[in-house]
Amino acid sequence: MKTGKRPLGKLLMVLLFIFFYLPIVYMILFSFNDGKSLTVFSGFSLRWYQHMLDSHDMMDALYTTFSIAVLATLISTVAGTISAIGLSSSRKIIRRIMEQVNNFPMMNPEIVTAIGLMLLFITFQVQKGYATMLLAHIAFCIPYVILSVMPKIRSLDPNLADAAMDLGATPWQTLTRVIVPQIMPGIVSGGLIAFTMSIDDFVISYFVTGRGVKNLSIMVYTMSKRVNPSINAISTVVVVIIALVLTLVNLIPALAARRAKKAVRNVRRRRRVLVPASAAVCLTGLLLLVSLFHGRSSSLPYEGQTLRVYNWGEYTGENIISNFEAYTGATVIMETFESNEQMYIKVANGESYDILVPSDYMIQRLISEGLLQKLDPSLLTCMEDLSEDVLNLSYDPDNEYSIPYFWGNVGIVYDTTVVDPEDLEEQGFNIFLNEKYKGEIYLYDSERDSFMMALKALGYSMNTDNEEELQEAYEWLVTCVETMDPEIVTDEIIDNMAQGRKALGLIYSGDAAYVMLENENMEFYMPETGTNLWSDAMVIPANAANVELAHEFINYVSSYEGAYDNSSYVGYTSPNRDVMNDLSGTGGDYEGISAYLPRTDNENDEIFVFDDEIRKVISNLWSKVKIAASNAG
Amino acid sequence: MKRYARLSIPYIAWAAMMLVLPMALITLYSFMQQGNSIVSFTLTLDNYIRFFTDADFLLILWRSLLIALETTVICFALGYPIAYFISRCQEHTQNLLILFITLPMWINMLVRTYAWIGLLSEGGLFSRILALFGLGNTELLYTQGAVLLGMVYNFLPFMILQVHTSLTKMDPALLEAASDLGADGRQAFFRVTFPMSLPGVINGITLVFLPAISSFSIPKMLGGGQYYLIGNVIENQFITVGEWNFGSAISMIMAVIMMLLMMLVRRVEVRNSGGKEE
Repeated sequence: MKTGKRPLGKLLMVLLFIFFYLPIVYMILFSFNDGKSLTVFSGFSLRWYQHMLDSHDMMDALYTTFSIAVLATLISTVAGTISAIGLSSSRKIIRRIMEQVNNFPMMNPEIVTAIGLMLLFITFQVQKGYATMLLAHIAFCIPYVILSVMPKIRSLDPNLADAAMDLGATPWQTLTRVIVPQIMPGIVSGGLIAFTMSIDDFVISYFVTGRGVKNLSIMVYTMSKRVNPSINAISTVVVVIIALVLTLVNLIPALAARRAKKAVRNVRRRRRVLVPASAAVCLTGLLLLVSLFHGRSSSLPYEGQTLRVYNWGEYTGENIISNFEAYTGATVIMETFESNEQMYIKVANGESYDILVPSDYMIQRLISEGLLQKLDPSLLTCMEDLSEDVLNLSYDPDNEYSIPYFWGNVGIVYDTTVVDPEDLEEQGFNIFLNEKYKGEIYLYDSERDSFMMALKALGYSMNTDNEEELQEAYEWLVTCVETMDPEIVTDEIIDNMAQGRKALGLIYSGDAAYVMLENENMEFYMPETGTNLWSDAMVIPANAANVELAHEFINYVSSYEGAYDNSSYVGYTSPNRDVMNDLSGTGGDYEGISAYLPRTDNENDEIFVFDDEIRKVISNLWSKVKIAASNAG
Repeated sequence: MKRYARLSIPYIAWAAMMLVLPMALITLYSFMQQGNSIVSFTLTLDNYIRFFTDADFLLILWRSLLIALETTVICFALGYPIAYFISRCQEHTQNLLILFITLPMWINMLVRTYAWIGLLSEGGLFSRILALFGLGNTELLYTQGAVLLGMVYNFLPFMILQVHTSLTKMDPALLEAASDLGADGRQAFFRVTFPMSLPGVINGITLVFLPAISSFSIPKMLGGGQYYLIGNVIENQFITVGEWNFGSAISMIMAVIMMLLMMLVRRVEVRNSGGKEE
């Protein structure tokens, strides 16, 4: 059968390769886009590469991905080979059992393996981070190595080892000179599988990591909410690295083989050694390269120290971290969360950070559970500069524990070309049940804010502990997701509203300020029936490792320079009085943007109060609302 | 070789710690009440009862099974002809084609999925192509179709590679024998080639179905926040809600369902290879 006679097959192959490579080509193309859009190409530029190199978050992720992959591959290949040799000479029953055990990571859904390992580390109180990620990777890589080495050992002549030893070889010599060379192809392919598995892993890494350690997958997963072409840039870098490694792995042995033409007999054997050797060499080279970007040297007050910050995603000014590092000499490791609850789980399980940026009610909770330490007033230089409106609030009456980071309201962002302002005035949050706007709304994926909206729409207090009122709010939300066909989003709302993709959305005032700057058709509305007045503040956990540096960070972020950078870049209201006035005043970035200045004069507005019982109820109800939404769609 | 048996001891200890104990812990947690510590706890079936008495959870589980099944069927329908075509090519063409199918798998899965966001979003390549046909306002991103596409895109190579391996392992003499015995191309395919490639198909199905049913990153990235599959429910229990016992119970339910399905599939395989020898 000749291929020429199969036009259908050829067509299929062409379509297949378009399907496989289109996204990759598209991604590479848009990594060179001058604009921020993922859909419109507006010119060639390398700015996203610059952005990527400047972001040590991304460089760290790259380094973590490759260093873990190399270490896990080396360790699991060696350990797997030794174990396979050991197992194949063990008693049959042991071998059988171990084969079953080895199958666990392959036969179980990945998420189950991941959760098992996570529970293991938590039960034995192992601090999650780089080491746990490496251990987990080794754990799921070894079975693949064993699986690929085992058949090669089986096919060995059992007399081979005996013959070698009869000829005077020690067991060690027999192993290294006779057995291992014979099973080398199995070892190499096992190592390659291990490397692929490790470099591609997301689920297991995601559950077992901690302390801000993240690999590429975790980074993409947590950053994919906002349009961020740097992800395309770093992905392109990965594509290039992988392509280089693969080419070298294939080329070096071929070149070596040509050079060793005369010693024909040895070629095959050499090739076997050369493949892993060349792979190891190029990867080590790459690691060195990446770690060069990584390292820095100078002599500053906090040289060599590390500050671990756990903050919201997309919540820091462009230059804050690099400026703070330049000025203290410390390294900042930033981990981001999407919700207070997500942050709480990690902190309550003993993960150690130096700075957290939770919201009001969560700060109250953390204080009540003894998870925070009091700030040292003698180390704080920023108190004078902060706005009165955001100090001494109910969750921390004397600011003993917290220094505000950003503050604002929650409201409705709407497209003035689609939404009738009278509907908003009349209905307030109930506009989210108005079928005129079906398919045109975004809800925000936060249990607190969604229930706030529903409770306020129904005219109740958002801090209610009345079960019936909560149940009513739940039904309000279910009606909304079942009849209005909303999209439940988090930070995606920002770019999507800026591009005018929907007409209405529940949004934080600071995000609305950004949207309004980008799109002049957008306006921000807060219902008269009241809304949430929130603040996020910096706190130092009880188990912080570097308290002094944490105070420095608080001071820097609150200073005019830091606060200005933060607020002008992110769009949220600064607690620094001068920054707030300058940015909203004449000539400021947010002149005329109503959403930038929080509403402090409506008596229906409330601040969240923490109540653990209510939290559980709301948490469960919200996850049921999302399930209802999913089932309705 | 017996003298090397001792070499397996460290691994047995390691596997007990890193492979067996985690599974034991999930099982244990799934029978414990929220807030119990590992030192003092009472066993309970509450978590399981909660799952099975709630129609919403059952519906999610059903939908996850369904979409995993759809993914598997599509991957098979596309993957088999492709693998078959490749196996008919000359050897060096085969190697090249296989290399190009494997290549994207080296690039991070999340990265590849992220690339689809740009392609599918409003104003992106696909919506512009559709606009040419007068379908300007079709929503592509954040739909069930997008999730399905993402899954097929990520898992199709597994199917192709498995089927291709089993097809190339087949002895070409068998086909010659079949045609000598008077079978036409069609008969030869359905009576010889296809049954012989079944082990590859089964492996392919396993490799597609298993990640498809538990995936939570693809639904989240391409389906949006309102698109929940069972993997998202589990993730949510562990990452946001913090009810690990309930989350463990759901994980156990999923693991058991998978185990049963796999046993079923293997049984089909055994019956088929048994039938072949008649």
